[in-house]
Amino acid sequence: MDLELNDIQQELASTLSKYLRSEYDAAKREEILRSEEGISREKWQAFAEMGLLGLAVPESYGGADMTFNEVAVVAEAFGRSLVLEPFLATAVLGTNAVLLAGSEEQKQAILPGVCEGQTFLAVAMLEPNLRYAVEAPETTATAAADGGVTLSGEKNNVLGGDVADHFVVTAVENGDLGLYLVAADAEGLTRVAQRQADGLGNANLRLENTPAQRLDAADAREVLTEVIDLGNAAIMAEAVGALEASLTMTADYLKTREQFGAPIGVNQALQHRAADLYAELEYARSMALYSRLAVTSEAVGAEKDRHRDVIAAKIVVDQAARNISQESIQMHGGIGMTMEYPIGHYAKRLTVMTRTFDDADSLTAELAELGGLVEPHAADLS
Amino acid sequence: MDTLLNAEEREFAQQMRQFYRTEIPEELRFKVATGQELSKDEMVTSQRILNQHGYAVPNWPVEWGGQDWTPVQRHIWLEEMQLACVPQPLPFNVSMVGPVIATFGSQELKERFLPATANIDIWWSQGFSEPNAGSDLASLKTSAVRDGDKYIVNGQKTWTTLGQYGDWMFNLVRTDPNVKKQAGISFLLIDMKSPGVTVRPIQLIDGGHEVNEVFFDNVEVPVENLVGEENKGWTYAKFLLGNERTGIARIGGSKVNLARAKAYAAVTKTARGTLLDDPLFSARLTKIETELTALEMTQLRILSTQAAGSDKPDPRSSVLKLKGSQLQEDISELLVDVLGPQGLDFVDDRVQGQGLSDLPHGAVDALPAYFNTRKVTIYGGSSEVQRGIISKALLGL
Ligand SMILES: Cc1cc2nc3c(=O)[nH]c(=O)nc-3n(C[C@H](O)[C@H](O)[C@H](O)COP(=O)(O)OP(=O)(O)OC[C@H]3O[C@@H](n4cnc5c(N)ncnc54)[C@H](O)[C@@H]3O)c2cc1C
Repeated sequence: MDLELNDIQQELASTLSKYLRSEYDAAKREEILRSEEGISREKWQAFAEMGLLGLAVPESYGGADMTFNEVAVVAEAFGRSLVLEPFLATAVLGTNAVLLAGSEEQKQAILPGVCEGQTFLAVAMLEPNLRYAVEAPETTATAAADGGVTLSGEKNNVLGGDVADHFVVTAVENGDLGLYLVAADAEGLTRVAQRQADGLGNANLRLENTPAQRLDAADAREVLTEVIDLGNAAIMAEAVGALEASLTMTADYLKTREQFGAPIGVNQALQHRAADLYAELEYARSMALYSRLAVTSEAVGAEKDRHRDVIAAKIVVDQAARNISQESIQMHGGIGMTMEYPIGHYAKRLTVMTRTFDDADSLTAELAELGGLVEPHAADLS
Repeated sequence: MDTLLNAEEREFAQQMRQFYRTEIPEELRFKVATGQELSKDEMVTSQRILNQHGYAVPNWPVEWGGQDWTPVQRHIWLEEMQLACVPQPLPFNVSMVGPVIATFGSQELKERFLPATANIDIWWSQGFSEPNAGSDLASLKTSAVRDGDKYIVNGQKTWTTLGQYGDWMFNLVRTDPNVKKQAGISFLLIDMKSPGVTVRPIQLIDGGHEVNEVFFDNVEVPVENLVGEENKGWTYAKFLLGNERTGIARIGGSKVNLARAKAYAAVTKTARGTLLDDPLFSARLTKIETELTALEMTQLRILSTQAAGSDKPDPRSSVLKLKGSQLQEDISELLVDVLGPQGLDFVDDRVQGQGLSDLPHGAVDALPAYFNTRKVTIYGGSSEVQRGIISKALLGL
């Protein structure tokens, strides 16, 4: 049994951390946050040059032909530094949607640009009347006279949609769920950019007979589930980075902030709560790993368990994210509520992460519906 | 877990699974699976079968019957044992006094005690806690005063688990009252049949007789029963408690109990269907399942660090104790809640007779088990003690 990072992954982690420590500290991040686009295209270019944007993409499309394990290493480092650029939207969601559902030609057209840092992608799956139920969109796809297809409908909270060059859009065509590729400058597409609480950008979209291409090399429902599973696994890795940073920062604060003539951390009430948070951080690390194993497993029949295992993991990580983000603010007192101090920024990112593709309550209900993780068995019941 | 194991480990797991399910009598495993109490003879029988095959004390040095296993194999040995509902070998023998004697005892003590300890020809009791020395164990007062070639022991131990079966007792005793409290403690083996030893039962809230008080009134103990050096007992005790903590998460056992609660819930009717379909019950159950998986992954991560070559004590094992014990309690509560009103009586048998219908499965054991399981967050270093360790060792507070 070996659950450690291999040498290449360790190297990737340490190189990237070193880079982020010097080039993505709180002050530099703040500058990016205040900029018009809210992201740094320069940094994005640097990520591309480091090879971070196509890690799990085959070489034939300009990638490094590695696995999701390396993607998770990057996500964790990005979480620690609260990177604002749309890595999740482009390099995880968009890339995998195109990889899994695109034709050879579509992959060749889109992916090399992504790997080089020239193209941003976004997956548009949420809709105003659906909350998180992405399997049954109201957006429709209609075959056009010229053999193409057009989309009409509305999408909301499209992560990375503010800067995306191409959208992967869910829609229903003749009663079936489909995935479609839409260029950002396509006719009949209106986009309203927004800023999430965590500073990341998204967009609401209106599609009116917007020309699109079908992404139909695989079953749309299966692709969508896999893309969300990968997205959740990446979010969990990112969350681990952010949780680790939050708890380290909080423990440091407990050691340095003095009240009543002593560091506040001498109080057992705070020590024990911090210890509980540490235990939750270990759980989050364990379950981020569990989800990574689920999405990379090559065992026979692994797809069947993949979705179940990812949502099980997310339930635990969400719990840790909620407790650590809330308690971190509490243990900092007033300073924790200021924009000037970093702890609140972690809390904001974590708050959004726990609600991005679904929330813990509905994941729990879904996992229960799938039968849970433990097979019922009692020796005295036959 | 199987998918994380390499081919050899998987084969080993298979082998252990097979062994437990064929060699340990079915009726013993059924008793464990359904929460029935085992008699002393049944526990002894089971441990002797394990010992015959070299599976009672794999954590001991090879020359004393241990196995040259990796940390992962040791984990599999225990996990599969719990999953197969095999009665676990007596912890006082195999994970407490045995390793202490094997590591710190004289050759003479090893020869005299280790084989008999592995084979449970001697039943050991643990004499650490005292009425006024619990979490603050080092403040213990039971005294051993040297008198020629013997010690004279006076004082009281308490919470002595299964002391009613005990042949011998390993004790922490004060041999020097004039130094820092940790520096005056020795590790002494006492024959419980010695004159002056009195064992008195304590009844617990589960109705059972599991623990005892043990009184020492001028008990004479030969000096050769001292383990290691005089006044070094605290070091040996820390070694012992460190060994205790690793297996204490009881993940396999929790899986069995959770599967059981779930199976019962699936056949328990409510006003709206089965209990398993009840949204709040099922949410609670599902959360516990995810936490148990998180606990297991945490255990495997710690093992993986050990397998990669680190044999330092890992303070993360305090997380296993803290979380694992809480989960055991949560699961025991779940089982009580499955039974509803029929889980609230202390009964000896689910068959009522006299034309009344049988009580539901679990009606005999769920409630006592719920009360009994309160102990797991108290002993082996209470949850508060574990939080203290975590906040110091892992957060530097
Ligand atoms: C069923 C059972 C079986 C046992 N079997 C054995 C046995 O075989 N042999 C043996 O030697 N012992 C045995 N024990 C004893 C066990 O090790 C002690 O109960 C344990 O060490 C706690 O001590 P205490 O009960 O005196 O509680 P105390 O130490 O008095 O603690 C009371 C409460 O205060 C908390 N507390 C204590 N100190 C602190 C602190 N510094 N900060 C915050 N909170 C604190 C504790 O966590 C606990 O919640 C057994 C106990 C039980 C319940």
